[in-house]
Amino acid sequence: MTFFGLGQTAELEIVLDRPDGKKKLDESSKKDQSLIYYDGETVSGRVNVILKKSSSRLEHQGIKVEFIGQIEMYYDRGNHHEFTSLVKELARPGEMLQNTSYNFEFLNVEKPYETYTGSNVRLRYFLRVTVIRRIYDIVKEMDIIVHTLSSYPDMNNSIKMEVGIEDCLHIEFEYNKCKYHLKDVIVGKIYFLLVRIKIKHMEIAIIKRETTGSGPNTFNENETIAKYEIMDGAPVRGESIPIRVFLAGYDLTPTMRDVNKRFSVRYFLNLVLMDEEDRRYFKQQEITLWRKGEKHLKGMQNRNEPSHLVSGKDGPKGSEAPRTTTQSVQPSGSIDNTDSENDHNHSPMNEGDDEQIRSSIEDSTSE
Amino acid sequence: MTQMEDQEKQLEFALASVQKQGVHMKMCLDKNKLMEALKHASAMLAELRTSLLSPKSYYELFMKVTNELCYLDLYLVEEFERGRKVDDLYQIIQYAGNIVPRLYLLITVGLVYIKTNTNLKRDLLKDLVEMCRGVQHPLRGLFLRHYLLQCSKNVLPDVPDNEETEHPEGTVRDSIDFILMNFAEMNKLWVRMQHQGHSREKERREKEREELKILVGTNLVRLSHLDSITLDKYRKIVLPGILEQIVSCRDAIAQEYLMECIIQVFPDEFHLYTLNVFLKSCCELQPSVNVKTIVILMINRLTVFTFHNSNASEVKLFEVLTEQIANIIQSRDLPLEDTVSLQAAMVGLALKCYPDNLDYVDKSLQTISDTFAKRKIEKISHKNPVSRELMALMKLPIDNYNDLLLVMKLKHFPEIIEYFDYTGRKTIAIYLLQNAVQCRTMIPSVEQADIVLTMVSPLVKDQPDQPIGEEDPEDFAEEQSLLGRFVHHMKADEPDLQFKILMAEREHFSLGGNKRICYTLPPLVFQAYQLALIYSGKREQDELWEKKCRKIFQFCHQTILELTKAELAELPLRLFLQGALTISQINFKNYETVAYEFYSQAFTLYEEEISESKCQLAAIILLIGTFEKINCFDEENAEPVRTQCALAASKLLKKPDQCRAVAISSHLFWSAQNNVGQPLQDGKRVMDCLKKCVRITKQCMEVSVQVQLFVELLNYYVYFYERGNNNVSVDILNQLIGQIKKEITGLTPNEETEQITKHFENTIAYLQNRIESADTEDSVYKALEGLTL
Repeated sequence: MTFFGLGQTAELEIVLDRPDGKKKLDESSKKDQSLIYYDGETVSGRVNVILKKSSSRLEHQGIKVEFIGQIEMYYDRGNHHEFTSLVKELARPGEMLQNTSYNFEFLNVEKPYETYTGSNVRLRYFLRVTVIRRIYDIVKEMDIIVHTLSSYPDMNNSIKMEVGIEDCLHIEFEYNKCKYHLKDVIVGKIYFLLVRIKIKHMEIAIIKRETTGSGPNTFNENETIAKYEIMDGAPVRGESIPIRVFLAGYDLTPTMRDVNKRFSVRYFLNLVLMDEEDRRYFKQQEITLWRKGEKHLKGMQNRNEPSHLVSGKDGPKGSEAPRTTTQSVQPSGSIDNTDSENDHNHSPMNEGDDEQIRSSIEDSTSE
Repeated sequence: MTQMEDQEKQLEFALASVQKQGVHMKMCLDKNKLMEALKHASAMLAELRTSLLSPKSYYELFMKVTNELCYLDLYLVEEFERGRKVDDLYQIIQYAGNIVPRLYLLITVGLVYIKTNTNLKRDLLKDLVEMCRGVQHPLRGLFLRHYLLQCSKNVLPDVPDNEETEHPEGTVRDSIDFILMNFAEMNKLWVRMQHQGHSREKERREKEREELKILVGTNLVRLSHLDSITLDKYRKIVLPGILEQIVSCRDAIAQEYLMECIIQVFPDEFHLYTLNVFLKSCCELQPSVNVKTIVILMINRLTVFTFHNSNASEVKLFEVLTEQIANIIQSRDLPLEDTVSLQAAMVGLALKCYPDNLDYVDKSLQTISDTFAKRKIEKISHKNPVSRELMALMKLPIDNYNDLLLVMKLKHFPEIIEYFDYTGRKTIAIYLLQNAVQCRTMIPSVEQADIVLTMVSPLVKDQPDQPIGEEDPEDFAEEQSLLGRFVHHMKADEPDLQFKILMAEREHFSLGGNKRICYTLPPLVFQAYQLALIYSGKREQDELWEKKCRKIFQFCHQTILELTKAELAELPLRLFLQGALTISQINFKNYETVAYEFYSQAFTLYEEEISESKCQLAAIILLIGTFEKINCFDEENAEPVRTQCALAASKLLKKPDQCRAVAISSHLFWSAQNNVGQPLQDGKRVMDCLKKCVRITKQCMEVSVQVQLFVELLNYYVYFYERGNNNVSVDILNQLIGQIKKEITGLTPNEETEQITKHFENTIAYLQNRIESADTEDSVYKALEGLTL
């Protein structure tokens, strides 16, 4: 980092150490592997300043290390919103004659949000070391990953709903929970109460909706994280189709609501039925994703034994008729029938070959 | 492109893809790259998602794919057994996005877990069979579940479930639940095929379903292979489970096939003890289901089983079946023919398993009779299927008992016969009689004879419902001959009784009309003659024998007269002659008068009724022949008859006939015996006859006939000469031979004349031979030495 090859310059190196001595790496990010921190965890380490020329001195106006959490909107580059910014002075202005190390510590730093990289927004935490100089500063940044852990939700009712299009299709679906942790399994079933259309297949899609901006400038970006076929062919009345979706295999984040009033990331389960004329009928249902402490996850399950079997207590109950008590978390809804133009939000999988525009949507339940 | 070619092409593509992915999969496995291999396996399995193939082609594809999957299965089992288990494998394969490949993998991997850790058996089997619900497409679902059934074949738990001990590996109860669920789901899919697509393709769909039925049926086969299924379990769990599904699917094709399946695959002993339940379900099947076939199949199975297992008798099989069949008939509005064939099966059962219990058969007959009455059926046309079935039923006791007397013990048998139309009744009548004749069944009483003759009345007399028009004369003759033969089967050991039977028979046969009595009455008369001989043989024991014989001949006389009234002549003539002959053998009081009456009746018939010359000739020969044998007449009666015979002979129309008849009558004066048993040997009268013959012969116009008659007469002369009639001289013979020699040369050679010549030559050769070899003993021929040969 020399300009015109003049003067002394230095390389900066940040070495983090974890309070518990263990390093955790974010396995999911494929690029450089960053350390994972949790809210309230102390971020400490050492800054090494390595001089490029051993003979000359390095003059500086002071050295500082900053801990920054910021939200970047891709459409608004340069205008980053910092929600956290902590500074530690490492050295007063002076001269440096040899390589020097400075320890730093941000004690019990509050890290309210989860690191996130979306299609329109990024939330990142990083450390920045700056050697302040007269002409140009020497700067080094290092990203860390922050995971927000949640405790077990107090309430985690199943989602159970009877929906339909009058005289055409009535189904009852049930997901065992409304809140799933990221390695969780969605277990449920679809019970067909009335089938007058020729269904070709049925799938469950996991849709991530990233909302940025506010007011009239709100922008939604939907992404289909997973498409999972749960039924092939046309069922008849009385059929009950089991659902079992393992979430661990997908690239998911916890649900984030209104992060710093800047953005939200929400997840939906989209139940889609396709008929033989390629018309699609679907019902979206929001689920909350949360991150569970890793420690709890480990050792709970013998990984050589299949989990969530039908016969197990947490498995699908395929053959059971629907329960009589309709205890649904969400109000009774309807099945939506898409078309590609006026309801783009609702049909992320829509390839645009749905020719027929159908107004849908009737509330089928009498509630 | 035709549909067929299209199919082939599609299949070819699919198979090629499977082949390719299969090879990749194996290569990856060989390099221990399991995840890669699973990806290829998944791609391979994706071919099974196709909707383009017919069931047959899909089956071919399925076979290929599952064959490839074996390799994966072997690999995984080996790895697992070496302790190299893959973490979360069961979970990992569930990330496959498409359900069909995912479930095939789930089954494959699930079975690997089961094979290497049997404690997982129960839970995994349940998981697999439940998760397969995701495939609701009939064809794909059927094959997927077939794969599941195939894979689980050797791992299904087959140990009795004991409530006291834990069975983490599962018990037979788990296997039952597993198969029953798979069965129910497969059946639903199979039934659903029927309701897919266009209605005009119904036939094709039914054909396709037919091809696939074995997949559904295999579930039942698998159940039947579980050794731990006891009768109790079968009764309480298995059968109700199967029947529930069969009844509730409301599909005729499925119901018919599966009910038959149950019968075929499960042991008969189970059927025996669950009959009620099974048959009750039959009532609930779809109206178009051929319940009859099912029930009959069951009855037949149980018939054979009960027949071979004497311990099966603790179940009141017949009673249970009777009751249930009644229910079925009541609840299902069965076609009448089906009702009948059900009873036929019951009759078969009764005959085979309870041969001594005639009541069972009778009960079935009664049921039919009641049914007919209830449905107000009066007559059943032989063209009606009911008639066909009923006929089959009626033949069962006949064939099984092989005893008409037993058949007659069935109270309702005659009653059922009456429901047939003329053709049907006649068929039964013939069948009954044929059986009786073949089995030599004897009818020993008047009552029984009455019953039989009523049962076979279409043969005995005209029927009110008989179709108008000529019957085939050959058939008719055959039928009546059969009835004639049967007459000989109505026979009591006791002569008095026998006579009563004969009288009863005549009463029946008299109603038969002219066309029948010529077949039925002659055997009756012969029976009577035989009876008379029996009485004759019993003259020592029965002092009334003469009276009885007289009565018998009176009976015969009347009977034969009935034939004459039917404008028959030759037949009664023969019967009278036979009668006269018989009488002459039985020396009872006044028998001469009776015999004379018979003979004179015959003669009267000859004179008055027989007009055709050929018949006349035959008749006169019979009259002469018979009289020659009768020796009961005193001279006062005999002489006029002889003269009458000779006279009648000479009055025949044709000269050759005259000649021959007169020649024959010569015997009346020679070998015929008088009433003291002496032959007449009236040489002069003989010569008179022969001389007359020569005269008549000379009157013949045709030379060849003349020569023929001369040769015949020569033989007469030689005969009487040999017998010692002195009136035959060498001169007469020479004269005759000369006459013949003179004429014979003038004959135009042809076949006929050749024969005549030969006859003559043989006669001459005979004489020559006798003369040459005539030594001391054969003195008669010495005197013939002057013969010019």
